[in-house]
Amino acid sequence: MEKVLEVRDKTKTPELNYLNNGYSVASWLLTKDHKRIAMLYLASVSFFFMLGGFFAALIRLELMTPNSDLLQAASYNRVFTAHGIIMVFLFLIPAIPATIGNFFVPLMIGAKDLAFPRINLLSWYLYMAGGLVAAYALLQGGVDTGWTFYAPYSTTFSNGWVVVTGLGAFIIGFSSILTGLNFIVTIHTMRAPGMTWFRLPLFIWSHYATSLIMILGTPVIAITILLLALERIAKIGIFDPAIGGDPILFQHLFWFYSHPAVYIMILPSMGIISELIANFSRKRIFGYEFVAFSSIAIAVIGFLVWGHHLFVSGQSIYAGLVFSILTMIVAVPSAVKVFNWTATLYKGSISFDTPMLYAFSFLGLFLVGGLTGLFLGTAGMDIHLSDTYFIIAHFHYVMVGSTVIGYLGGIHYWWSKMTGKEYSEFWGKISAMLVFIGFNLTFFPQFILGYLGMPRRYASYAEELQVLNIFSTAGAGVLAIGMIMPVIYLTASLFNGKDAGDNRWHLPGLEWRTSSPPPTENFYEPPVVTWEAYDFSDENGLEPRKELTKETV
Amino acid sequence: MSDTHAHDYHPPGLQHQFEDMKQQEESNIIGMWMFLAQEIMFFGGLFTAYLIFRSKYPMAFAAGSNHLDAFLGGLNTLVLIVSSLTMALTVYYAQKNNRNMQVIMIVLTMIFGTVFLGVKAVEYTDKYNHGLVPFATWNKKTKGEAQAKTEAPKEVKNFFASEGGKAPAGAKVEEKHDYINPTGQFQWNSQGESNELILEAQKGNFLTEDEKIGYFTNGEIDQKKFEGRVRIFFWIYFAMTGLHALHMIIGLGLMLWLLIMAWRGTYSAQYYSPVEISGLYWHFVDIVWIFLFPLLYLLGRHFIH
Amino acid sequence: MSDKHEEHELHMGIPQYLVIFTILFVGTIITYYVALTDLDSRLFAGANTLVALLIAFFKMTCVVLYFMHVRWNGKLIWLTAAGSFVFLGIMFAFTMQDYLTRGAGIFTR
Repeated sequence: MEKVLEVRDKTKTPELNYLNNGYSVASWLLTKDHKRIAMLYLASVSFFFMLGGFFAALIRLELMTPNSDLLQAASYNRVFTAHGIIMVFLFLIPAIPATIGNFFVPLMIGAKDLAFPRINLLSWYLYMAGGLVAAYALLQGGVDTGWTFYAPYSTTFSNGWVVVTGLGAFIIGFSSILTGLNFIVTIHTMRAPGMTWFRLPLFIWSHYATSLIMILGTPVIAITILLLALERIAKIGIFDPAIGGDPILFQHLFWFYSHPAVYIMILPSMGIISELIANFSRKRIFGYEFVAFSSIAIAVIGFLVWGHHLFVSGQSIYAGLVFSILTMIVAVPSAVKVFNWTATLYKGSISFDTPMLYAFSFLGLFLVGGLTGLFLGTAGMDIHLSDTYFIIAHFHYVMVGSTVIGYLGGIHYWWSKMTGKEYSEFWGKISAMLVFIGFNLTFFPQFILGYLGMPRRYASYAEELQVLNIFSTAGAGVLAIGMIMPVIYLTASLFNGKDAGDNRWHLPGLEWRTSSPPPTENFYEPPVVTWEAYDFSDENGLEPRKELTKETV
Repeated sequence: MSDTHAHDYHPPGLQHQFEDMKQQEESNIIGMWMFLAQEIMFFGGLFTAYLIFRSKYPMAFAAGSNHLDAFLGGLNTLVLIVSSLTMALTVYYAQKNNRNMQVIMIVLTMIFGTVFLGVKAVEYTDKYNHGLVPFATWNKKTKGEAQAKTEAPKEVKNFFASEGGKAPAGAKVEEKHDYINPTGQFQWNSQGESNELILEAQKGNFLTEDEKIGYFTNGEIDQKKFEGRVRIFFWIYFAMTGLHALHMIIGLGLMLWLLIMAWRGTYSAQYYSPVEISGLYWHFVDIVWIFLFPLLYLLGRHFIH
Repeated sequence: MSDKHEEHELHMGIPQYLVIFTILFVGTIITYYVALTDLDSRLFAGANTLVALLIAFFKMTCVVLYFMHVRWNGKLIWLTAAGSFVFLGIMFAFTMQDYLTRGAGIFTR
């Protein structure tokens, strides 16, 4: 089945691969290779993640005490806004698609590169430009409106760098659009012979759905930012009730994108989890077609529910009713996925490697995050829980507990493929557990705090709530350690890690049939696909994992 | 690495990531349509704002749109339609390997595109002259006629009212000129007209709830409030047509690049994909205008002829 | 997959392009003059708006199908073109349903 024209040692890193194919700065900064662009993104995304995490640390330190002693309220506002903007626009939206997606979409479909490699590079430059503009605004003092920039505060009263930050977000938006465009075209036209739609890994299906949202939703935030800037500079009046405008219009336009944006954040992570669960149970995903279509369903229905962010804003009650019902409906495809993943685990041959630990964490944390989303989607409940810590806990469970954990799982899973090296499983498992424990300790108390009425975005709070806040801060410390550890041991693996070989986990996916790291043109032989996705049968030419043969048992 | 399908003949313009021209062309077309889908949603945000405000304040919008020159707008529509034709013909001639006609058609398209922008400039200047640009200081500052200098002004502004209307001895009395627009403010002058419109609507009972609150203070028509809502119309007008004009300018830039490449004979029946996708962009810009024209220029026109 | 017409097969000749052009041209003239007549009192409230939009939709359809060659493109392009308008429609409809149902709503008199 593997017709290799040259003899190469599949247990070793090949001599010529995409990493050492040219060492100059220009060969990296002007590259058209999607794998190098993915690495550029990995570096920049990690940097912004650390920056956002720094602001998170400031928030948690401030909230250890009931009074606003570490930070004045005005500064605190700028800190949580910076945290939000950096984490949402500079990390969560691009992280998985632009790093793991860029690297693996062509590999998984058997293509040489994405459809438009230069647009891919442009996408990274736009990301960096937007990030620098936002960072500049930050250094100048930042914005205190919250990452949601609500009018009329952002248009009339805020004294921060609203327009410049908005410009940064605008530029990053175009980076996102170009990535999405690239993925859709690539998945349509560049699949290898034999790679039909229903043989695609579910990672590809979820990236396809994500790209749909990127293309259809992001332009709306772009125009919203434009209108915000015009309103702020020129006082148009469309968001100003005194002149005849409506501040809720801003919220409608803003959330029309920002709600589907959260599906941009979660869908790629769900794609990774599908890969992890199937591959580490050595079993085909249960209900492949259902999981594939549920990704598309989430993308489409996700555009219909944005009003659930506006329940208490002044939106009409009837509209609130409609959006509430649709929010219930959008939970269904996500539930379908969770059920199918669980069914995949049943009677699978499960191995508890680090990526699988992250996948298990995801299952539990996404369940909590998703269910609490349903509580909030019920308009009656939302009246009490809106703008409290319950909301913060909910979205951190889905953003950090699901997206970031999926991201970490994916990085670990594909680390050997991207770098050719193995990381230390021991440290991997420790940090996965620290992340899980730290995360829950940080954010579970926040559900209770929200229920007890602690408002969000406040630097001070009632004294009775201090104990829970201290738990939360302690958890944040553990979480921080758990997240910094991978930086250390993954970097260390680059220098003294063992050579991983082509197929470190012994898996049937197309990306595992080329070397680690892959050569610049991805495959030594243009692949022809004749097997179904997640085909673990012996006829698939797969060597059985050593752990399972009689000799080692 | 071995290359089992070495291309003996490399079609011109085939990029390395594609297997053959067909795949590349297909990808280009899908890619451009994805970009256009994104553009539709981009303009869509402004159309949403238009939709909402027009539904809230139809009379203000009617009043505002009657101050736009529908003839020039219609002319622009025709100009763009002609340019769409020449663009489509460019693609046609590229497919027919006819370099000269391609170049002529591109030049014609660019000419019509420039005419469009020229007419737009005329319209914008007209707005500037009449004080209809909704941004303070961006209107023409106009002075009215100065009062006669020969006689001492009868009434100095109330500044000296406490002195019994007379300037204290030795004070310099300034002459008053009637400034219509001293700082280039947005001026909505046609009071009679809009009053008529509102009153007619009130009589026929087709003012919306927002209008009933929005135009009146204590039962009387409040000019300032009405002006605020007309100003929103003008903002939407400038934002939408401005964004559209920006896309036209980008389109002209694209045409220039296309012109250079066509002049060099780059495009042929085997390789005309860039012409085709530029055509798609150009037609899209035309379509946006096909909607902008009636929505902005025509919809209130039957109230006032 | 999207089906590209063969290299030398041209679906539209110059006469066909001119026909579409004439249709668009005439459509513009019609929409201009109809806008000047008061259909609202003759037919029903909102008639002018409806007619103007219908003509605009018709012109757009001509441009999309014939000038942009969508008539001969595969299902994917049809889906993309139509789908974008569906999402645009969602944005309009779901935003308007808020404004139309407020207490001081648009249809409340």
